[in-house]
Amino acid sequence: MSLLTRNAVLALGITLLIIGTVTYAVHYMDQQRLADITAIEARLSTDTLSLETQFSLLENAPCENLSEGTSFSKELSDLGDRLSFAEGRLGSNDPQVVQLKKEYVLLEIRDYLLMQKLSKTCAVKPVTVLYFYSNAGDCSACDRAGYALSYLRQTYPHLRVYSFDYNLDLGALKTLVAVEKVKDTLPAFVIQGKLSYGFTSLTKLEAAFPKSAFATSTATSTVGTN
Amino acid sequence: MSWGPDLLIYPFLFIAIYFETFLLVTFLSAPARARRKRRISNSTPRVAIIVPCYNEERTVAATVKSLLALDYPREKLTVVLVDDGSTDSTPKVMAHFKEIPQVTIIRKENGGKHTALNAGIRAVPNAELIGCLDADSFVEPDALREVVACFAEPEVMATTAAMSVHEPKTIFERVQHAEYIFGITVRHILSTINGLYVTPGPFSLYRATVFEQLGGFIAAHQTEDMEMALRMQRAHMVIENAPRARVYTKVPRTLPKLLTQRTRWTSGFLRNVIFSYRDLIANPRHGALGLVVLPFALLSFASGVLLFGTAIFLFGQQTAHMISVTSGIPLSYTLAPRLHFGWFYLPISGLLLLSGSILLITMTFMIIGKRMSHTPGRLIPNVLVYLLLYGFVSPLWLFRAMADTVTGTHRTWR
Repeated sequence: MSLLTRNAVLALGITLLIIGTVTYAVHYMDQQRLADITAIEARLSTDTLSLETQFSLLENAPCENLSEGTSFSKELSDLGDRLSFAEGRLGSNDPQVVQLKKEYVLLEIRDYLLMQKLSKTCAVKPVTVLYFYSNAGDCSACDRAGYALSYLRQTYPHLRVYSFDYNLDLGALKTLVAVEKVKDTLPAFVIQGKLSYGFTSLTKLEAAFPKSAFATSTATSTVGTN
Repeated sequence: MSWGPDLLIYPFLFIAIYFETFLLVTFLSAPARARRKRRISNSTPRVAIIVPCYNEERTVAATVKSLLALDYPREKLTVVLVDDGSTDSTPKVMAHFKEIPQVTIIRKENGGKHTALNAGIRAVPNAELIGCLDADSFVEPDALREVVACFAEPEVMATTAAMSVHEPKTIFERVQHAEYIFGITVRHILSTINGLYVTPGPFSLYRATVFEQLGGFIAAHQTEDMEMALRMQRAHMVIENAPRARVYTKVPRTLPKLLTQRTRWTSGFLRNVIFSYRDLIANPRHGALGLVVLPFALLSFASGVLLFGTAIFLFGQQTAHMISVTSGIPLSYTLAPRLHFGWFYLPISGLLLLSGSILLITMTFMIIGKRMSHTPGRLIPNVLVYLLLYGFVSPLWLFRAMADTVTGTHRTWR
């Protein structure tokens, strides 16, 4: 074997080794990220179940546990950020991402329902927004709407924004869509129970909120994965 | 991973890693190690060094003085100064050396660098080795003995030196300094497999028989040194490298001048290789040069153009999207930094790690180049400037050279 051939073959082997190592390292980190999300979801699921069980035991809303709900919402918000990051890296069609997203949506719906119950019996009136978007390329205004909601959520911390991928194949989400009568004209918003479609500007979106939504408060928020 | 224009990057990353690994493996091979152990030569064949000059009043004196200071028997070394019709005071500066027996001065009408070199070659019929030294370059005293040592092998027909930048001061001089040091290692490695396709103006030496067999220099799209090397390769001649033969050269100090020089080099490469020496590409009869070096050089040109084009496209697309998404939202929110901390958000991707591997090997070659050639001066600050700037400025001359080649545009030398 000539020097050239030997070096060429050796270089190919080393190159494949470098690329294989890089691929493995990146895959390993992505799997660790997904495992991290799974662990957070499992913990939040247990917390939700605990709060719901308390609700049932007391046959009333455990208003004193609202502070727990606050930290819960922060964790849900952090989970949304992580899931969004993982989705950006692995793609929205990755089976593991889709599964985690479904579990996240379930947690969001359960938190939303719990907040509905708490608001009826406790002295708290959170302003909730259900935001339906699509990542399928059929919603040109969704990115703008999502960004505007992120701004509103940060500016007015007691807004509770729940984001849902309209196309996610999940029974509970389909039921929510049916209950709220949301059509596939996206983006869609359910603000304090009132349904609206489309996004043109921040000003018009703000106009859809009750004035109390923009009062200063210390309540918390929840983020989605759009 | 999403499918998009960024996926174009991966094949080029693979090729870049492969080529750098190939160089690294070749660097560690026995023939390369043997070359690094080569001792300085006591042999003293008759040598003539031609210094072609066109308006070099500021640097030619220092160039000649460095040649006269070479550690070599005076009676065996001739310095031929060729004034190619300078319009400044170059002839006056040259005249200061007319009394020195070693120095021959030729004055001719301006005809281009290749004509000056050929005039010099004709003036030294008894020389065994003929070299050239650009009038903006300076040699170390032991450089000639280092180069002559390579000619101990009878099949060696030309030898290149180890070029670096003379006293880099400006940002662009520093960028080029790191690049030239990288070039020292690459040139050494490629010589091991006879893959050199340029015999640079700063201190390349040829056996006189090369010109007898192949003829003199030709214009060759203002890259006569590249054309001569390609002509030698086509004739299956061996081109060596002396990695400790230090020669320092003045380089463009500003971006416009650098752009002019590199456009000339790159378009010269494209024109010579594609139009005149296409038969060498992918030709197994020309070994590593035909199968690895020239194909990779063309691919690296294509990848530079394509990757920069893709980067510009993606940047434009992202910017337009960002402007669209953030319009109507207060700037205080848009511009506020939103950082996520922790390992989860580390932006580690295949693209980043593979690019990092390429940079790591590149920096390794730079460190090797400096140590192997014993080039003085600090390297690390220049490497950092190189890493920050080179990727942004080099596409400028790649695009310009491509446009010139396609449109048949010819530019002036400077």
